[in-house]
Amino acid sequence: MSVPLRIKGLVKNYGSLEAVKNVSFDIQPGEIFGLLGPNGAGKTSIISCIVTLEEPTQGEIEVYGYNVAKEPRKAKYKMGTVPQELIHHGFFNTQEILEIHSGYYGIVNNKERINYLLHKLGLWEHREKKVRQLSGGMKRRLLVAKALVHQPKLLLLDEPTAGVDIELRESLWEFVRELQKEGVSILLTTHYLEEAEELCDRVGILNHGQIIKIGETKKLIKDLTHRKVTFQLKTQDKGLEHEYKITIEGDRHIFSVPYSKTIEELFNELSLTLGDVKDLSIQEGSLEDAFRYLLGGQGE
Amino acid sequence: MTKQNFLPFLMLYYKELRRFNKVFIQTVLTPLITSSLYLLIFGISLGKNINLLNNIPYLAFIIPGLVMMGVLNNAYQNSSTSIISGKFSGDLQDLRVTPLSNHQIIWALALGGLTRGLLVGTITFFVGQIFYFVNYGSMIQVQNYLILFVFMIIGGLSFAMFGLSVAFWAKTFDQLSAVGSFILTPLIYLGGVFFSLENLHPFWQGLSKFNPLLYFINGVRYGILGQTDVTLWLALGVSFASLTVIYIIAWHSLKKSNFTRW
Repeated sequence: MSVPLRIKGLVKNYGSLEAVKNVSFDIQPGEIFGLLGPNGAGKTSIISCIVTLEEPTQGEIEVYGYNVAKEPRKAKYKMGTVPQELIHHGFFNTQEILEIHSGYYGIVNNKERINYLLHKLGLWEHREKKVRQLSGGMKRRLLVAKALVHQPKLLLLDEPTAGVDIELRESLWEFVRELQKEGVSILLTTHYLEEAEELCDRVGILNHGQIIKIGETKKLIKDLTHRKVTFQLKTQDKGLEHEYKITIEGDRHIFSVPYSKTIEELFNELSLTLGDVKDLSIQEGSLEDAFRYLLGGQGE
Repeated sequence: MTKQNFLPFLMLYYKELRRFNKVFIQTVLTPLITSSLYLLIFGISLGKNINLLNNIPYLAFIIPGLVMMGVLNNAYQNSSTSIISGKFSGDLQDLRVTPLSNHQIIWALALGGLTRGLLVGTITFFVGQIFYFVNYGSMIQVQNYLILFVFMIIGGLSFAMFGLSVAFWAKTFDQLSAVGSFILTPLIYLGGVFFSLENLHPFWQGLSKFNPLLYFINGVRYGILGQTDVTLWLALGVSFASLTVIYIIAWHSLKKSNFTRW
């Protein structure tokens, strides 16, 4: 069965620069997949190859079973793209841009969908404004509306919240979740790792053009990070020496505990009972920790 | 071509029409003023002292040339400006990420350029008729509308596709204007807009025959006046061949081009 996106052995070179090195992954139906990595890791190059803005040096890309090199038009009807950079469109207003973009997908009377998107993305009051009259956030929302005029089943979001304020970011992510519920599969690149952690079912960590880790977001965090457990004891006579102990700050003993170890096991190994503890806090590992760990291992 | 495939092409053509209509003064009225000045200065003031071998008034001689110059210039500028402004604003990539094929992009932009060119060419012709009527008390009778429109269409399409090729190739505004200044303008002015081959030294006559614009312009002159410096069939053959070559160049240019912003 064809999946929304399948990338096999993708290589993209720009002259002598190897931007993407043998990347393979796929996206399952209704999944939000995060492609994460530092600047220059190759995220935008991969998206550019998917949407045929760039020609892969090697490898194959399929969108719902259509090879984008051999059947680009069929593949393009299935996907929508929000590019990283803002686009200005000098001559037309917001509504006209969406009408024209619908026409590129062979849809002539698309008023209902366009009005829905204008309302949904807070652009209705600005529908007769030229793009240069819109704020950066509005321009970004217009790009999202453009990508969705033809109701694609695969949405590619390349840094959609770059330079966007918190309120708008939250409303955008809310909309992304709604799209996911409607069955849209989403490939997302972002620098906001907290958001990626909250949104993405799976992530791929990209560095120097290679995927260095791929997996379910929660599992990846569990596998690659530790919980930070902090004890404050009622009495100071207990030493609390343990291989997981990382430091003492005043009367607070701080441990870095792998997910394989339960808090109960840690208590037992430290010969502690709840009665010995004045205060206890547990800080879960984050995607950012996993990201740092992986990139640290890559010599970042 | 199915309906779903045809509509994206129609929409891009429609967008091109809307685009030049939004800047009507710049795209249509400005060339009109330029043509009127040419008619006034060359056709009337200087034209009185110019005798052509076939005894037609010089004003009548330059009207077809100016019509074709309007068609070619505007077709070229329309498609090249569309691409360059798209490269500048970033919306050129819409043409690549949507289901438009390279052939559809070429034809839609070429038809957009042709439409603007025909509009300017037609207006120039009517302005020329007014000048002619004021000076000679009669109108020029068009000799063959079919030939006239065939050459205007081939010329307009060719130049719109040439503009598109250059704009896709150009990496800077300088490169684009260099092609206009060093290739296009000399070819147009030396293509027989203002003079007949008969009035040239045999060396320049021979050299001019390598200029494809000579055939476009003489085709239009044949359509309007029934007179031409080259045979009609040769003009038709060279014009069709030029269109075919330019189409191949345009297709190659699109295939190799980058649609991302400058």
